[in-house]
Amino acid sequence: MAAILRTLNVTKRFGGLVAVDDFSFEIEEGSISSIIGPNGAGKTTFFNCITGFYTPEEGLIEFKGKQIQALRTDQVTKMGITRTYQNIRLFANMTALENILVGMHSRLKTWWPEAVIGNKRFRDEEKNALAKAQELLEFVNLKGLGDQLARNLPYGAQRRVEIARALASEPDLLLLDEPTAGMNTQESAELTDFIRNLRDESGITVLLIEHDMRVVMGISEKITVLDYGSKIAEGKPKEIQNNPKVIEAYLGRGAASGLEFSAA
Amino acid sequence: MKIKDGIRAGFIALGILIYLDLIGLPKTFGSSMVVTFAVIVFLFSLFSLRTKPAEAPAPLPSVLVNGLIIGVITGLGFALITFGFASLQAQDVKVTDVFAQISHENIEALTGVDKVALREGQSVVPGLTKLAGYFILAGVLGGVITQFPASKVLHIGDEEKRSSARYWLMLALPFLLFAFFLALRIEGVDIGGSEENSFGLVLIYACIAAALFAVREVKAGVHKIGFSALIVALVLVIPQLTDLKQNAILGAVMIFVIMGIGLNIVVGFAGLLDLGYVAFFAVGAYTYALISSPESYIVVNLPWFEGLNFWAGLPIAVLLGAAAGIMLGIPVLRMRGDYLAIVTLGFGEIIRLLLLNLRDYTGGPGGILEIPSPNLFGLDLGNPKGILYLGMAFAVIVTFFTIRLRDSSLGRAWVALREDEDVAEAMGINLVAIKLMAFASGAAFAALGGTLYAARQVNIFPDNFALDVSINVLSLIIIGGIGSIEGVVLGSIALIGLPEILRSVDEYRIVAFGALLVIMMILRPEGFLPSTRRARELHEADLDSPAEFEG
Repeated sequence: MAAILRTLNVTKRFGGLVAVDDFSFEIEEGSISSIIGPNGAGKTTFFNCITGFYTPEEGLIEFKGKQIQALRTDQVTKMGITRTYQNIRLFANMTALENILVGMHSRLKTWWPEAVIGNKRFRDEEKNALAKAQELLEFVNLKGLGDQLARNLPYGAQRRVEIARALASEPDLLLLDEPTAGMNTQESAELTDFIRNLRDESGITVLLIEHDMRVVMGISEKITVLDYGSKIAEGKPKEIQNNPKVIEAYLGRGAASGLEFSAA
Repeated sequence: MKIKDGIRAGFIALGILIYLDLIGLPKTFGSSMVVTFAVIVFLFSLFSLRTKPAEAPAPLPSVLVNGLIIGVITGLGFALITFGFASLQAQDVKVTDVFAQISHENIEALTGVDKVALREGQSVVPGLTKLAGYFILAGVLGGVITQFPASKVLHIGDEEKRSSARYWLMLALPFLLFAFFLALRIEGVDIGGSEENSFGLVLIYACIAAALFAVREVKAGVHKIGFSALIVALVLVIPQLTDLKQNAILGAVMIFVIMGIGLNIVVGFAGLLDLGYVAFFAVGAYTYALISSPESYIVVNLPWFEGLNFWAGLPIAVLLGAAAGIMLGIPVLRMRGDYLAIVTLGFGEIIRLLLLNLRDYTGGPGGILEIPSPNLFGLDLGNPKGILYLGMAFAVIVTFFTIRLRDSSLGRAWVALREDEDVAEAMGINLVAIKLMAFASGAAFAALGGTLYAARQVNIFPDNFALDVSINVLSLIIIGGIGSIEGVVLGSIALIGLPEILRSVDEYRIVAFGALLVIMMILRPEGFLPSTRRARELHEADLDSPAEFEG
């Protein structure tokens, strides 16, 4: 399969700090990949570079064959990349349904004067958008909670609304930043299944940042490990699990040698 | 219900009455204020003694005692103070040097003893006894009423299903008030006892406010449409019945409604705090003045140009207003919150200073004179009634426009922008476009208001476009309820209309505003008629939302 996203030598600096250092990687269309790494390794910064929130100082980011590193966030979203956030960032004072409708913004074609006259095209589009938002709400198992303010929803439901909101823009690539953070084992397992189903049914490519190794190892087809902004390993879950460099990055040199020993 | 509570409520009520007395309501409204004050005591007693809908009413003896306490404290307290003032005046001490509003008219309104009689030694005690009697009666009555279950429908903030009593009360109130107003117009009927018929205007305000509340209470569907149509008819009739001065004031209210709805888009929907809103009002007014007045620079210096009429000037002024909005919008695109507020504040001042100093073009402090007034098919609208109708028509158009935008994806994008700018952008919203759209539409409405203002005033001066206009518009949307269009109407009446009637208490106007704002922010931070979203933001957290504990 072809690569849907490819980055080449991406570097992002904040003053003297190199958050992402000469990072090149690619993900295949329809795959589920993960980026892991210790805290501060530059994973979220890398997400921000992809979505256009940051502009990398060097390097290229290519999505579906087009360079996107210089685009604004909203343009990137229109091209088909959406994300969720590490600490949930819903529009807290809008209802769940409105959140999803906002997510749909980039797919709505009518112009504001049409809204003012209220022509048929506008009314049809609004009706369809509402129906689709209801569908998405149902898809994430939140049927009937559409009128709740986002901030009043329980934590797990907020996570799911965030995913529904991201899906509303009909993305080709979905970036999930620690989707299972703060969830218990059962909830994470459910979410893992959900992500896998999503990919299987709609063919969306998924890229995760995740700390929960059970989730990462269970779901990813490819794992990339970042440490101090650079890639230190890449491969299938099995390969990563046994990679001494990865263990070192997570647990320190001594532990790494010890584990290697016990593994042998 | 302890006696302590009654004493406390009594003193609070007394404080409010003294405040109203000192700012001069009795002087303005005459003897009707005795009854009005008694009604205030009654309401105070009722609201402090009633229980929550779910609770049983407090036992009758305790309620009676507390009602009596409230009545006695207010009655005796108020009577004593008035007695003090009256005896000072009887000895020719000038009370007005210290309390500007405590004049002979005040004493006459409260006791029925006029200046001459007071000098001659007529006692004010009978009048004051009557007044205290009213207050005590009102206090006790308020307490008794709490024993009836129906009193609970007045319980503010109860989230229970609206009982039919409250529903019908809301529906009937505007019509009752209107009927009362009509009664005032009948020759020989003197209910208000006031000069200039200010009382009638207050009634009109109350009528409109009650109607706004009622429109909310009515359930959606045929009833709502029918009721709204009635209200519209009523509003259309009002200018025919009111006198010149009343129409002029209502016209000013309308101009502020138009501006309030515009600023509401910028501040209420998109969350962009704009403190220089008056700039666009000025752009509208001066644009229309410059291209229409025979005295203006353009018309004087272009021999072939005779000046446009109102209907040709209006679109140009509105478009230029929108352009000014975009002009302000572009440099502040990257700014948020406080920074934005400061920059817009500066922008407002720059425009005013330009108007003041570009003497050759704007006439400087001398302003632009002889701005033509609008007419429609030969019908001159350059009178208060015409301006009021025009203002109402514009307000309706602007409201329609705003509601349509609010309910579109643009409206949702604005709210998303207010909530979280970064995430809004990540949802594919072009921040530049929607921010400029908010500024432009807000500015266009302000320019529309400005054009109408220029046509109404005939002569305009830079002083008409000072910072206080921005503050007023902002205050009125806060008081009415941020994000709510009905709220803007109510806020305009409260902030622009009421002070206009209380011209005689002008010096206390700002104090009254301040007090009102502080009280509002404590008791009802979402404003009088908040948008449903806003009300939920501020109050839903207090309720035990079931979703909070599920899943």
